[in-house]
Amino acid sequence: MSEYLNDNPDVLEVDELPSRKEDNNEHLFENFGSQEALQRKKLLLKIDHSPTSQVLHNIELLDKLLLLNSTPDLISDNENLLTESDSDLNDESIIGVGNESISEEYLTEPADPVDIQEIYDLTAHICDPEHPLTLGQLSIVNLPDIEVHDDGNPEHLAQVIIRITPTITHCSLATLIGLGIRVRLERALPPRFRITILLKKGTHNSEQQVNKQLNDKERVAAACENEQLLGVVSKMLQTCK
Amino acid sequence: MSEVDALVVSFIANVNVNDERSNDIAIKLTDLIQNKKIKLLQIIVALKDRFVSEDERERIKALKCLSCVLCNIEPQLLLKNDISVLINFYMSKITDKPLMLECLMGLDALMTMKYITIDQTITVMLFLQKDYVSKDFLAAVRNYPFSILQNIFDRWETLLNNKDKDNSNKNLIILFIQTYITIASGEKDPRNLLISFQLNKLITTNFKSESIQFAQALFDILFSYFPITFKPPKDDPYKISNADLKLALRSAISASDIFAEDAFSNLIDKLGATSPAIKNDTLLTLLTCINKFGGKACIEFWLQMWNALKFEIMHSGDGSEATYLDPIAQNDDKIEQNGSSVSNIQSNYQLSLDVLRALANQLIALDEIAFNKYVNHILEELKPNFEFTKDLRQSCSIMAAIGSANLVAFNKVIDLTLPLFLENTTEISKLKLMLLNLSFFLDSYIKVTKSFNGNETELNEFIKLNHLNDSKDEILMILGMALTGNSKIEVTVRTLSVIQFTKMIKMEGYLTKEEISLIIQYITETILTDNNKNIYCACLEGLKVISQTHESLVYDVSLKELLNLLPNGFNDLILHHKEDEIIQIEVILRVILDFTTSRHILIKESIVTLTQKLVEIYSNGNNAAIDYCFLLLSTIYSLFENNYSILDEISIGDIKNQTESSIFTILTNNNDNNSILFDNQNLSLLSNILYFRNVKYQKNQHELELTRYTKIFVEDHKILETPNRLVIPYVKILSAIDKSCTFSDASDIMEKTVTLIHNNKTNDMSNLEKIGYMELITVITNKWFNDELENTIIEKYVNWEDQSTINLEMIAWIGKGLITKNSPCSNIILSHFLSLLNDENIGLIVSKLFELFVMDINSMAKHKGITWTNNVKLLYKQKFFNDVFQSLVTSYNEPNLSLDIKCNYLTALSLILKHTPNKLVEQFMNDLLPMLLQALEMPNSEVRISALDTLKDTTEKFGLLITENIDTLLPILLKLVVPGSKYNDVSVRLMSLQLIGLLADSVPLNYLKPYKEQVINGLLLTLSDKKRIVRKQCIDTRQLYFELGQVPFE
Repeated sequence: MSEYLNDNPDVLEVDELPSRKEDNNEHLFENFGSQEALQRKKLLLKIDHSPTSQVLHNIELLDKLLLLNSTPDLISDNENLLTESDSDLNDESIIGVGNESISEEYLTEPADPVDIQEIYDLTAHICDPEHPLTLGQLSIVNLPDIEVHDDGNPEHLAQVIIRITPTITHCSLATLIGLGIRVRLERALPPRFRITILLKKGTHNSEQQVNKQLNDKERVAAACENEQLLGVVSKMLQTCK
Repeated sequence: MSEVDALVVSFIANVNVNDERSNDIAIKLTDLIQNKKIKLLQIIVALKDRFVSEDERERIKALKCLSCVLCNIEPQLLLKNDISVLINFYMSKITDKPLMLECLMGLDALMTMKYITIDQTITVMLFLQKDYVSKDFLAAVRNYPFSILQNIFDRWETLLNNKDKDNSNKNLIILFIQTYITIASGEKDPRNLLISFQLNKLITTNFKSESIQFAQALFDILFSYFPITFKPPKDDPYKISNADLKLALRSAISASDIFAEDAFSNLIDKLGATSPAIKNDTLLTLLTCINKFGGKACIEFWLQMWNALKFEIMHSGDGSEATYLDPIAQNDDKIEQNGSSVSNIQSNYQLSLDVLRALANQLIALDEIAFNKYVNHILEELKPNFEFTKDLRQSCSIMAAIGSANLVAFNKVIDLTLPLFLENTTEISKLKLMLLNLSFFLDSYIKVTKSFNGNETELNEFIKLNHLNDSKDEILMILGMALTGNSKIEVTVRTLSVIQFTKMIKMEGYLTKEEISLIIQYITETILTDNNKNIYCACLEGLKVISQTHESLVYDVSLKELLNLLPNGFNDLILHHKEDEIIQIEVILRVILDFTTSRHILIKESIVTLTQKLVEIYSNGNNAAIDYCFLLLSTIYSLFENNYSILDEISIGDIKNQTESSIFTILTNNNDNNSILFDNQNLSLLSNILYFRNVKYQKNQHELELTRYTKIFVEDHKILETPNRLVIPYVKILSAIDKSCTFSDASDIMEKTVTLIHNNKTNDMSNLEKIGYMELITVITNKWFNDELENTIIEKYVNWEDQSTINLEMIAWIGKGLITKNSPCSNIILSHFLSLLNDENIGLIVSKLFELFVMDINSMAKHKGITWTNNVKLLYKQKFFNDVFQSLVTSYNEPNLSLDIKCNYLTALSLILKHTPNKLVEQFMNDLLPMLLQALEMPNSEVRISALDTLKDTTEKFGLLITENIDTLLPILLKLVVPGSKYNDVSVRLMSLQLIGLLADSVPLNYLKPYKEQVINGLLLTLSDKKRIVRKQCIDTRQLYFELGQVPFE
C-alpha cells in the first residue's frame, strides 16, 4: 500500500509539468494567410524563435499584398451583398445562431479534440487549499490518471474521468480538492461532458465515502450554494491559467 | 532721505515678507559700498536707532540688514579696523538671544574676511565653545556655527597645517576641535549633520596628532548616528538624500585610523543586526575602514570579524545552485548595491566576501606571516566541510574571495584548497560538486587579473607565477571528460562543464591558443548535437564570449566548420554527422544566426559563404530545394537585419563585391527549376537582401550604382517591356539608393511602367509582378518626383475616367508615394477616393484600397540610422488620419445612405485603423466608437478584427466611454463569439472573448453585474469551439464573470 502514498511529494517546478509543447507559437498562425505562407512560417520558427522577427513580418506582408491584389473578390462580393441584404431583414442571420448557418469554412476547419492534456491543463494549476502549490506540482493530479471518452460529435455525450491522489491517506481536504476540480471542469467543459472524479485506488482511508460525496450531484449543488465554501474554491481557482 | 536710508527702509520692510526682494536690496547696498559710493558706517548709522529699539523685531530686522550686507561683501574690502569694530559690535549683541541667528550670520560672513586676525577668530571660537548652547536654538541657527568653523578652517588652513607647530598653534587647533565637539553634540538636522561629518573628517585627517586625545569624543559624535537612516520630506529644500548622509558618515568614520579600535569593535557589534539594510551599511563601512586603516589595525580584529562574517556567509540564502547553472547570470558582474531588498541581501553575501578579501589584501601588505595565520585559521575551520561535503559553496566562495586579493594570496589559496577537492571522478554527483567548486577559483583568477587595471608587468608576472597553471592540464581533462564522456541526459554536468570552459577562456593569459581552439571545438560540437535548451544557451554564451576576444579563432575553428557542414545537395534537410549523430540544417543556421551577433568578421563571412551556398543549390527546382533556399535566405536576411547598424562601408563593400556575381547568376537564370526566382517568398527575401547590401554602400557610389543597375534591369533584361519578375529586386535596389542622386530616367521609367500596368490583361502579368510594378511606381513617386513634378504625376497618370480595378489600384499606389511625404497633391487623390466610396459599383473595391495608404511596406520602411533612402515623413500617418477621419464620419452620417455604402465607409475606416497606432486615434474616440460598434457587425472578418483591436485598446484607456455603451457592445460581442458563422473566424472569436474579459476589469461592477448571467450563458456554446485556443480563452473569460461580484475569501 505504501507505494501509492504521495507523502512528502517531490514538488515539481511549474515548467516541469507535462505540457503541450507545440502550442507555444500557435498565436502566430491564427492570422489569415495562404497555406504556403503558413508552411514557411513554421519552417522559419525552427531557426528563429522570435515571433517579432523581421523575416516573419516580411512573409506576412508579401502574403497580404498578394491576397490584397489577387482577388478584389468578384465572387465573394456577391456573397457579401447577399448576406448584407439578409442582415437588413434579420439581424440574427449573419451572426448565425443555430446549425443552419454554420459556414462551410468552419465545418472543414481541423478540430482540436478535448484530450487528457487539455483536462490536465485545466486542473493542474488549481491551487492546493493548504499549500501555495498547485495540484500538478504536488502530483495530486497526474496525466496518466485522466481519461477522456469523446467521439467529437456534439450530439453525443462524452465522459471525463479523473483520479486524484491525495498527499496523505487521511487527507481531510480530499473532498475540497475534488470539489475544486469539479467546479473548474463544470465551468470549463460544455454541458455534454459527464465528469467523474474519483480517488485513486488505495490512496485514501475512506475512499468509498469520499468518492460517493464527490459525485453526488445534490451535495455538489448544495456546496456551491454556500457562499463561504465558494469563496474558498474561487481562491483555489485563482492560480489557474 | 538719502539713498542709503531709502534702501535700508525698504530692506526692513521686505525682510521676512519678500526675502528675494530684501536680498536684492542687500546686494544693491553692498554694490554701493564696493564702488566706494557709501561707507559701511553710513548703513550702521542708518540702522542705529533700530539696533537699540525696544521692539525685538525691529532689532532683528536691523541686524539682519547689516549681516546680509556683510554676506555679500568681498573679503578684501573691509580693513582691519572695520572688522575689529564689527566683531566687537556683534559680540556685544550676541548675548541678546533672539538676535542669535543674525549675529551668527554676520560673524560667519566676517570669518571669511581677508584682514581678520587670528585673535578675533579665537574670540569667536571661545564664545561658541563656552557660551553657546546649541540645543537652545533651531536648526537654521545651528547651521551657522558649523559654517563658521568651516570658514575658519578655510581661512587659516595654512597656519593650522603649519608643520613646525609651536604651542600657540597647537592650542588653536585644540580650541578648534573643542569648539567642534561642543557644537556638534546632539545635532540632528540632516543638513547640519552633513557639514558636521565633513568637519569631523577635516579634523581627523588634518590634525591627527592633536585629535588623538579627543578620539573618543569625535568618534562618538559620528557613531551615535550609525546606521543612519533618513527619509527626506516631500518638499525638502536642501535635497539631501539618505545616500548623501550615509556616504558622508561612512567617509568620516573611515577617515583616520585613530578611530580604528572604536570603529572595528562597534561595527563588529552591529554585524549582528537583523535588518539586511543595516547589515549592508555596516558591511560597506567595515570594508571602507579596512581599506583605509591598513593591515596594522586589522591584525587585532580579523579573528572577530571572521567569526561575525562566517555566520553571515554560511547562513545566507544567496546563490542557490540554479544561478550557477545560468550561463547569463554567470557573466554579469552582479552586486547591485542599491535597489530592492532582495538585491540588498544578495549583496550582503558578496560584501562579506569582499570584506574577507580586503582583510587578506591588507594583511599581506603588512606582512606575510600575519596573512598565513589568517588563511590557515580560516581553512582549518572550513576543512571539515570539504570532507563531509557540507556548505561547500560557501566554503569555496570564502577561500576564493581570499584568493582574489593578489598573487601571493591566490597561490596560497590554490596550494591549500585545490588538493582538497580536485580529482577526476566518474561519479556524477561528485563531479557536479567539483565543477561547482572549481568555478569559484576560476572567478578568483579573473578577479585578480582585473584588479591590475591593465598594468602589464603585474599581469604578466601573475600569469607566469600563479599556481593554477600547474593544474591546468588536469582541469582541462576533467572538463573535457565531463562534457564528452557523459551521456546527454546529464544536463547539469555538461552545462557546468561548458560554463567552466567559457570561464577559463575569460581568464586572461591562462590558456594557449591551441587550448582555446580545442575548447571552441568542444563547444561547437556540443551545440550542434545536443538539443537541450540549457546546454544550447550555455554553448551559445560560450561562443559569444570567446568571439569577443578571439574572433578570428572562432571563425577558423567554429564558423568555418559550421558553414562547411551545410550540404550542397540535400535530401530531407537532415544531415548525418560522425557515426550516429544527426544534425539538422535548421540547427546549424540557428546557431550561426545566434552567435554571430555584432561580430564583424563572423557576420561578413557567414553572409558571403551562405550566398555562395545558394548558387550551388538554387537550380534544383524541387520542394526540398525551395525550402532549403528559403532557410538560407532567411538566415542571410536576418543577419543583415539584426546587424546592419554595425556593418560599416568597408564590410558592406566587401560583402557586395564577393556576392554580386552569385546573386546575379541566380537572378538571371530563367530555367524553370530556379528555386529562388520562381518562388515568391524567396525572390522577395533575396530582393530585401539586395536592399541591405546597397543601402549602406559608400554614398558617393550610389549614383553610379543607380545607373549600372538601371542598365542591367531596364536595358538588358527589358523589365519595362514585358512583365518580368526581376522588377522585384530592381525596386528594392531603387529604394536603397540615396534619394539625392539624380535619376534622369525616372519619368521615362514611370511612363513605361504605367503603360505596362494598363496592359496587364494582354501581357499576362502575374500577381507578384503586379505588386513589383506598383511598388516601383510608389518608390519613384516618393523619391524622384518632388515639388512641381508632383503635379505632373497627377495630371499625367491619374485618370479618373477609367474605373477599372487595376487603374484605381495604381492611383492608390501613386497616392501612397505622395501621402508618405505629406505632399499637398495627395489631397486630390484622397478626396477623390473618398467620394468614390459612395459609388455602388466600385465603392467596395475602393474601400479596400484605403488599406494601401497606411500599410507599411518594406521599400518604404525607415531603418534606424538610415535617413537617405526615402521621403517618408515621421508623422504622415497622423496627418493622414486627421485628414481622412472627419470626412469619413461626415459622409457616413449622411442621411439616406444604403447599407452597402455605409459598409464601404466602415471597411475603409477599419482597414486604416489596422495600420494606425492606437495612440493617434484616441482623440477621435467619441466619434469613432459608434462606428466601431457598427463595424463589428460588418460581414467581413478583417473589418471585425480591426474594430475589435481598436476596441480592446479603447477599453483599457477609456473605461467610462465603454461603460456608457456596454448595453450595445456586450450583446454584439456575444454574437461574435459563436463558432460557425462565416465571418467569425478564429481571430474574431478569440479577440471578442478577450474583449469581454477586459470589460470585467474596466467596467464598474454595478454596470456589469446585470450582464453576469447573460455572459456566462452566452459563452456556453463557445466552450465547445473547435479550436483549443478559443476554448481556453473562453474558459478564462467565463471564470472572470463567475467571480464577478463574489465576496472575496479572507
